[in-house]
Amino acid sequence: MSDRGWRLARTEKLLYEFEPCGPGQYRYCVEFVGHKSREDADRYVRFLEDCGCRVFFKNVNLNWNVGKVEVRPWAEKGGRLASNATTYNRELLIVEKENDGRPFELHTTCEDRARYLKDCRRPVLFLFVMMAAAGIWKRSWLAGIFAVLALAALVWYQIALAKLKRRSELEEL
Amino acid sequence: MRDNRKGGALTEVTFYILLALHTPRHGYAVMQFIEEKTGGRLSLGAGTLYGALNSLQEKGWIAPAEGGGGGRKKEYAVTPLGREIAERELARLNELAAVAVEIIGGARDEQKVLPVLLEPDGSPGKVAEQDVGQGLAAGAY
Repeated sequence: MSDRGWRLARTEKLLYEFEPCGPGQYRYCVEFVGHKSREDADRYVRFLEDCGCRVFFKNVNLNWNVGKVEVRPWAEKGGRLASNATTYNRELLIVEKENDGRPFELHTTCEDRARYLKDCRRPVLFLFVMMAAAGIWKRSWLAGIFAVLALAALVWYQIALAKLKRRSELEEL
Repeated sequence: MRDNRKGGALTEVTFYILLALHTPRHGYAVMQFIEEKTGGRLSLGAGTLYGALNSLQEKGWIAPAEGGGGGRKKEYAVTPLGREIAERELARLNELAAVAVEIIGGARDEQKVLPVLLEPDGSPGKVAEQDVGQGLAAGAY
């Protein structure tokens, strides 16, 4: 969208609102922050804003409800309770930066990229365990399909982590 | 951050952050400092810098700057422990540089001569023999 001259102006659960801008004037990154506490996520957003970025929160699901509380055993510090008042429906950040001609990346060292991939991998691992258990226990094909999809994602994360590890052995960054 | 505290070796990123924070700076200024000092070779992503600053704060090497410059942006500064760690790293790098100059510096002098003196298979070349002859006559070798 940015390359076609559209800048993100607002996000809702299903809605993205754009406004005209110069073609390629802005660059975007998406970051998963569902494992962070509300305070930590807000602190991170403030830091990104201090670095000249504009930040939007975005949900990863379409659970329309009020007063939702969700257990996230895969979150940092041994798990967290996410509610509408904290990070529920605020799992993603869309980070915008003015295009300065260089690639826009939030994570630039092997070590930091690996840490971020591990943070993203934890909910997928949890999904795999839950779906595999449900598929076997309830003999559900649907749960089995989700388990296979989660397993494919886990394999992808594992390959990406192995590549980063190999790279970090060759170069300091 | 994978700094080798026992051996004293810091990663390049850590050392640059400690150097940047000898003057209180906010995150974006740290990124700019590192890019400027490395001529753009080392460019840190905001997410990476956020993690690095948190990690260094946990180690007690940096701390939020007192007063914070009066602005909204949070500033950080190196602590006395961080300063000591940076000074130790400088001493380690100086020691390393001295050894490197001793070894590579000598090899570089030899390299200036070797390509002229030797063919790729190691035998003396015609040009080399000529140069050596002329050089010897002129007292260059």
